[in-house]
Amino acid sequence: MNTFAMLLGPPLLAALLAAAVKPYRRFVGWTNALLSLLSLGAAVVLWRHILAGDVLTSGPLEFLRADALSTLLALCVSVVGALAAWLGPGMGGDDGYDGAQARRFRIFANLFTLMMLFAVVSNNVGFMWIAIEATTITSAMLIPLHVTKASVEASWKYILIGSVGIALAFGGTVLGYFDFVNLAGRQEGALNWTVLMASAPHLHPQVIQLAFVFILIGYGTKAGLAPMHTWLPDAHSEAPAPLSAMMSGVLLAVALYAVIRWKFVVNAAVGTGFTDDLFTAMGLLSLAIGAFSLVIQRNYKRMLAYSSIEHTGLICVGLALGPLGMFAAMLHLLNHALAKSTIFFLAGRVLHRYRTTEISGVSGLLTAMPWTGGLFAAGVLAVIGLPPFGLFISEFALFRAGFAAGRPWLMGLVLALLAVAFVSMIGHLNRMLYGAPAAGVTVGEGSAWPLVPLGLCVAALVVLGLTLPAPLRVLLTRIVEIAGS
Amino acid sequence: MDSVFSQLSVMGSSLVLIFGLILLWRRGVTAYISAFTWQSAVLSGVTAIVAYFGHDHELYWVAVALFLLKVVVIPRLLRRMERRFAAERELAPYVNTATSLVISGLLVLFGYAITRPLVALSQLPTRAGMPLAMGLVLVSLFVIISRKKALTQVIGFLMLENGLALLAVLGTYGIPLIVELGVFLDVLMGFLVMQIFIYQIHETFESIDVEQLNRLRH
Repeated sequence: MNTFAMLLGPPLLAALLAAAVKPYRRFVGWTNALLSLLSLGAAVVLWRHILAGDVLTSGPLEFLRADALSTLLALCVSVVGALAAWLGPGMGGDDGYDGAQARRFRIFANLFTLMMLFAVVSNNVGFMWIAIEATTITSAMLIPLHVTKASVEASWKYILIGSVGIALAFGGTVLGYFDFVNLAGRQEGALNWTVLMASAPHLHPQVIQLAFVFILIGYGTKAGLAPMHTWLPDAHSEAPAPLSAMMSGVLLAVALYAVIRWKFVVNAAVGTGFTDDLFTAMGLLSLAIGAFSLVIQRNYKRMLAYSSIEHTGLICVGLALGPLGMFAAMLHLLNHALAKSTIFFLAGRVLHRYRTTEISGVSGLLTAMPWTGGLFAAGVLAVIGLPPFGLFISEFALFRAGFAAGRPWLMGLVLALLAVAFVSMIGHLNRMLYGAPAAGVTVGEGSAWPLVPLGLCVAALVVLGLTLPAPLRVLLTRIVEIAGS
Repeated sequence: MDSVFSQLSVMGSSLVLIFGLILLWRRGVTAYISAFTWQSAVLSGVTAIVAYFGHDHELYWVAVALFLLKVVVIPRLLRRMERRFAAERELAPYVNTATSLVISGLLVLFGYAITRPLVALSQLPTRAGMPLAMGLVLVSLFVIISRKKALTQVIGFLMLENGLALLAVLGTYGIPLIVELGVFLDVLMGFLVMQIFIYQIHETFESIDVEQLNRLRH
């Protein structure tokens, strides 16, 4: 069976099933959960192909193509997609959502996953753009799953800022295509990566630079890069937990993926200096805004959202530090996807129990929900970069790359900003974990099985913190090779 | 032949930009909707002209799809929303009319500045219109950030997309048809979702004034 069909088919089927069955029935959720594993399996098959040294393609003009970079992103998306399918609304038990909400979630969350997967395996920049625009539409539909003033406001900001950003990315794509057409004339497959990359050294420098500015601002808006990040904390804090996990864990990564693809083209055209400077500047700004906003947070979901901005900034800085930095940034992207989606799911459990998103409203988490609290603490410690978690290793690798590239001042600044984030998140975490639970808060875990997959994610983070498995190292090395070729 | 073509395309592009500028000095959503409708009609016409002179049959389909989507369907939905919210009082924008016009003039000049390498590089007879398209993109961005009504912001967004469509058709005689159709589908879906949200804003806030959307801070 075609691997791409196995990757993209399950979320499509699950969405169609959820749309067809009305009112919502529980078997839809379970079928969805099982189907999500099929997608995950397909991503692993892609990985095995990369390890064997070949790049899978499919369709006319290599319509779909999964090289090492696509494969890493497909893995991240399918893991988080599977978590959302297993832990999302409508699997039975009291999760705070009724049947209609569960049905809506199943339809749009699956379409959302489908569009993210399609974006990363599409060989055509035009279709990649269409898919990323569609992620805005499908995810925006889920933010006001509970209609409140705050969620309506968040969804409006998200769809407006996201759509404008993505429209600018379209402008950048058009300018890139313009440059190509002037060089080689109109031809089949002109919007394909492979074709663009092959002709990149002859592209007109000024035009492709202008195109890249549009693309960076456009996709950067969706990736949560400052100063276009303003929608992000609202959307991530007001969205239902499984959607926050998908947005924070992988949507930002998918948007970054688009920028990275174009970065390869621009680097081949004008050298690495231009994109590196832009990445460093926007990365630092995002880091600074993320870190200082963490200090004043009173809402734990917003705290996690600002932490995502900070990490996106960190990944951008890494991408500007040569091959070693690229390696570290890609490892960090994977670690962050795992860690952040896990904590957002746990935050959803906390919110369901305490009925508040205020940090001051949550106390005695370790007493009220020992396992959830413990895993939440582990997740937050992982995100701020403590050993033995994977993010410590990727941040360490990133610093090494920075010093090797001869940028000690830059690295010092990054380290200072990470320290600010570290101190403030530790403080917020302490306030939540200890003390006595507020009156009226039930003590005990409630339904405990969702903790199993989340515990596995934390365990995976520990493994990534202790060792870098060979298959993963090969995958990341192949990504660095794409950048270098 | 080429000179007729190039004059027609520049004239069309100027009209597209001028309909965009109407948003700056007219008040009232009704006027904005008709400006958008006319702008889209001219854009569709420019696309057809490029199709004719450039001997590109695919572009005729793009022109037809554009006409159906942005001259027939979306304006009809916009007018339905406008009737629903007709009772709402008009709000002064964040920036007054005179300043808006000055800023837009500067933005159009800026559009000329950044598209200079494009015009210098291109051999197409339509190249002179590209700065105008870029100008429209920048002016629409300004409209989106300086207006307070959700409906006006949506119209600004639609005009931004028109500017980009114009840029694509003048610079490259259109992106590949199959991609173009996907873009149209996205525009339509995006617009429908925005419409749902505007109704939701109206229901929860009893107005579509986005100034009230200020609960989420820090």
